Amino acid sequence: MSINVTRRQFFKLGGAGLASSSLAMMGFAPEPAEASIRQFKLTHAKETRNTCTYCSVGCGILIYSKGDGSKNVEQNVFHIEGDPDHPVSRGSLCPKGAGLLDFVHSKGRLEYPQVREAGSSEWTRITWDDALNRIARHMKDDRDANFVQRTAQGETVNHWTTTGFLAASGSSNESGYITHKVVRNLGMVAFDNQARV
Amino acid sequence: MSDSPDNDGPDDHSPESESSDHHSQARATGQHAFGQTPPSPGAPPVVGLPPRKLFAERAQRLNKLGERVPAMAAYLQFMAMIVEAQHRVLQQPRPSLIGGAELAMTHGIPPLSVDGLWRDMSWPADLEALLDALDTRVEAPQRVWFDALRELPDADRAGLARAVLEGQPLALEQRAMAPLMGAALQVAWTRQARLLPATPPRPAGLGDNLCPCCGAPAVGSLIQIGMARSRVRYLQCGLCASEWYAERAKCVQCGDSRTLDYVSLEDEQGERVLPVQAETCDHCHSYLKRVNREWEADADPLADDLASLTLDMMIADRDLARRAFNPLLVLGEPA
Repeated sequence: MSINVTRRQFFKLGGAGLASSSLAMMGFAPEPAEASIRQFKLTHAKETRNTCTYCSVGCGILIYSKGDGSKNVEQNVFHIEGDPDHPVSRGSLCPKGAGLLDFVHSKGRLEYPQVREAGSSEWTRITWDDALNRIARHMKDDRDANFVQRTAQGETVNHWTTTGFLAASGSSNESGYITHKVVRNLGMVAFDNQARV
Repeated sequence: MSDSPDNDGPDDHSPESESSDHHSQARATGQHAFGQTPPSPGAPPVVGLPPRKLFAERAQRLNKLGERVPAMAAYLQFMAMIVEAQHRVLQQPRPSLIGGAELAMTHGIPPLSVDGLWRDMSWPADLEALLDALDTRVEAPQRVWFDALRELPDADRAGLARAVLEGQPLALEQRAMAPLMGAALQVAWTRQARLLPATPPRPAGLGDNLCPCCGAPAVGSLIQIGMARSRVRYLQCGLCASEWYAERAKCVQCGDSRTLDYVSLEDEQGERVLPVQAETCDHCHSYLKRVNREWEADADPLADDLASLTLDMMIADRDLARRAFNPLLVLGEPA
């Protein structure tokens, strides 16, 4: 007679309640337990795995949020901690990473592009398309005006020293490679990374 | 060298000493298509054998939960009494069955496989010992089924043991006796697991939800505490109480991480009732409870499962399969 625990069936509680459970069959009243439901309510939480945005170490984080995921309810992030399963950080975070929750909920958090026109003291909201077009325009104008092909001695340098670039830290190797190719192809020499900041 | 409260076994059983263990044979050697990886520093131990005071601490926990959940106080105190008896019976010596353990492990088979050993295990003697230990303490309402189990012929006892191990739905008249049989089975397997000379690796072909020691499913998962296992999630075997690593925020059954929802009970003041969350998965339509030792250091997957039956009832309308293997509990529609 062979036995198989590994392919066991798992049952559903359904409407059976506790009346036919071992609790009731052993001689304990199921009614108080069933009635106690009225004292409680259910809360829903999610755990989401992510990577810390700050530096190039890329520590794993677990983001805890409340809300049952239904369409009209916004998930509310209430806690962030190191991911103990992450092979690099093993659950630890530096003080900056440990403060990520305040970063998420910060009143001063930038959520969309803004511009302060020359001579104005006001920040005004613009679209992403506008922002990218304006940045591209500024870069093109500056590069056209200041690009150096050859030095006075006639040596080819092809550099652009009047504009610098600060790249993100929490990005993949692939986006780091592409960033490098774009920036160096333009001839930019002042180039750094948020990971060092 | 040990830092977690549940870890008071002999040194060679303590999880900290096996930090070089890995999830599968492939990972154990660190071999893959690109060469060999060095062992990951700070990796938590993969498998932990049951601690010496497992049942004693579980009984304490059940008594404490009895005070906190008045609606089930009598039941939880009675279950605590059974678990106390389990602790005493666990101390009784029985013949070792770990002779083939090493061979089994080299073939990727759990060394205390239920399928292979359930006939040889000492559960008949352990059941007898549990009945003797509890005889004078069982009161009138429980006397009927207790005496019926005492008088149950050996063949019927074997049938009941098998039904409990296989998780059969069970007929109403068997349902009162099943938890005590489950208790005897737990004692038999836990004793043998504690005899194992070393923690077994995770067998490569075995599902993540099955115990590397005996192949039985988990009773629940727990967030561990202590230096080496801080906040790491482990599954605890429903039968031999071994613990094995399971990545957090991921369904143990199907691996899905998008549809997981952690459901827990709150009282009217919005305070957490128990350190228990049901990890529900809408991908495979099932759930398994998770206790968090960061919230309560003595939380126990089995004890807290019994104390949180309200949670099962409150999510019953979602029609999810209950995946826990809790041998001390029978729920659902009878056979």
